[in-house]
Amino acid sequence: MKFRLFLIIFLFIIHHFDARAVPLISGISSNEINVDTEFKGAQILLFGAKSDAGNIVISVRGPRKNFIVSKKENLLGVWYNGERVRFKNSYSFYSLFSTFNNGRMIEDNLNDFELGKNNIKFEISQNLSPSKMNEFRIQLVDLLENKQYFASNTKPIDFLDETLFKVMIDFPKNILLGTYVVEIYLINNGSILSYQSIPIYVNQVGLSAKISDFASNQSVIYGLLAVFIAIFVGVLTNYFFVKFIKK
Amino acid sequence: MQIYLPIAEIPVNIFLVLALGLITGFLAGMFGIGGGFLATPFLIFIGVPSAVSVSTSTNQIISASVSGLLAHFKKGNVDIKMGLFLVLGGIIGSSIGVSIFKILQNAGQIDLVIALTYVLFLGAISLTMLSDSFKNFIDKKFGMDWQHHHDDRVKFQWLLRKIDKLPLKTYFNKSEVYISIFVPIIISFGIGILVSLMGIGGGFLMIPAMIYILQMPSHLVVGTSLFQIVFIASNATFLQAIAGNNVDIVLGALMIFSSAIGAQFGSRIAYKVDANATRAFLAVLLLLICFKMMFQLFAEPSNIYSLEILK
Repeated sequence: MKFRLFLIIFLFIIHHFDARAVPLISGISSNEINVDTEFKGAQILLFGAKSDAGNIVISVRGPRKNFIVSKKENLLGVWYNGERVRFKNSYSFYSLFSTFNNGRMIEDNLNDFELGKNNIKFEISQNLSPSKMNEFRIQLVDLLENKQYFASNTKPIDFLDETLFKVMIDFPKNILLGTYVVEIYLINNGSILSYQSIPIYVNQVGLSAKISDFASNQSVIYGLLAVFIAIFVGVLTNYFFVKFIKK
Repeated sequence: MQIYLPIAEIPVNIFLVLALGLITGFLAGMFGIGGGFLATPFLIFIGVPSAVSVSTSTNQIISASVSGLLAHFKKGNVDIKMGLFLVLGGIIGSSIGVSIFKILQNAGQIDLVIALTYVLFLGAISLTMLSDSFKNFIDKKFGMDWQHHHDDRVKFQWLLRKIDKLPLKTYFNKSEVYISIFVPIIISFGIGILVSLMGIGGGFLMIPAMIYILQMPSHLVVGTSLFQIVFIASNATFLQAIAGNNVDIVLGALMIFSSAIGAQFGSRIAYKVDANATRAFLAVLLLLICFKMMFQLFAEPSNIYSLEILK
């Protein structure tokens, strides 16, 4: 398995790791996720070593996207999209691991770093009352959790001994494309002793990716092609059935 | 076997789509309709987003109409002059239709409007067809007369008198009618909007309009209607592809191939079965689709909040 190979290489690096020079080092099993039509989700292993006292916090954030949250309303029995709130540049993926055994501690200490679900900042482009804003913000997080884009809880970090740790990062099958960032923090007494950032690139591959790129980048040719195929098949079926099959 | 649809962004069973295309084509060929009224709801029911269903169905209509048009051309059943005026109005109407579509999509109301228009039209069409079938059945069985033998054109007298006053009258040789060019333009303008919004060919409105309002001879009606549909559906498909990126070429190709084959078999069967019974069957089918659409409108959503991820 590629995880095992990764582990061997990583342990080799760790072996030469000078604890006094860097208090924190880590690596991941892959920098790339290729999404094709068969994609069933992915797992990436993160390994690390720390040499100083303190807590570890690992965040995984997905590319920023624009979202709309709609609230269905009922008129004469018919359900329709009533209020709609647009969120600009929000994380499309968020997962947090930590050695703090109490989620509140991270949130109190580290709200500037947007660590912890309640510290994520959301930008709304319209004017809303604070209570409305809160309602839709909670719903956005909820909807993102339902899609498994946001992890609902902070997950623990596995320690192999006093210095070596690992976590498994899960990506769902409906993952959005773009650059994801894994950040590893070593925190002591509310201050960050060490910090490392690792990107993960999520790309779409295969024929359907090419078609969808083509449809958005060359939409004029794509549109003409759709019309042309239809006309061609129409002429072909007429010709074929008149010539060979005739009733 | 699963296949991933690049624009609809969902995996579907390829055999399910082919079967839907065959059934749509078969029914369309059998009843002489374009099939949009069946294809769009079928696609919505298997989970294709409404906007993609409508636009892809428009794509399929081009193919079905070209195939039918060629047969009518050979028989000389197309009034090209009338057809071109219909195309003019239809191109404007369908372009405005795509703009309305885009506005509704941005406002998050496109699913609602598609479902509402389908419920409305499917309900009206299927109930009219059912009552006609029922009357025919009673006629035959008991020899009763519902007095529907008088000329339906009488109903349109007031409209025809108004139309007669419109300017820019011209003579259409082939159809042998003398009428203002605004009449075909206005009719196909309105139908063009529906073509874009619903992913239908609009023949169910265009054909009666040609008979009763344009007063065209009946042998030219179907061919001329197909002639204008080819242009209007092409325009709508092209604009849907560039304005909304709603046309799924993979889904479209699957539907086009399978429905073309289905249509050939459907049109052969049509001569061999009882017309009244098949009409009643189609009416019941359309009514069922109408109810299913209605259910989607009235069913309480499992979560009243929903998420859209913008591209």
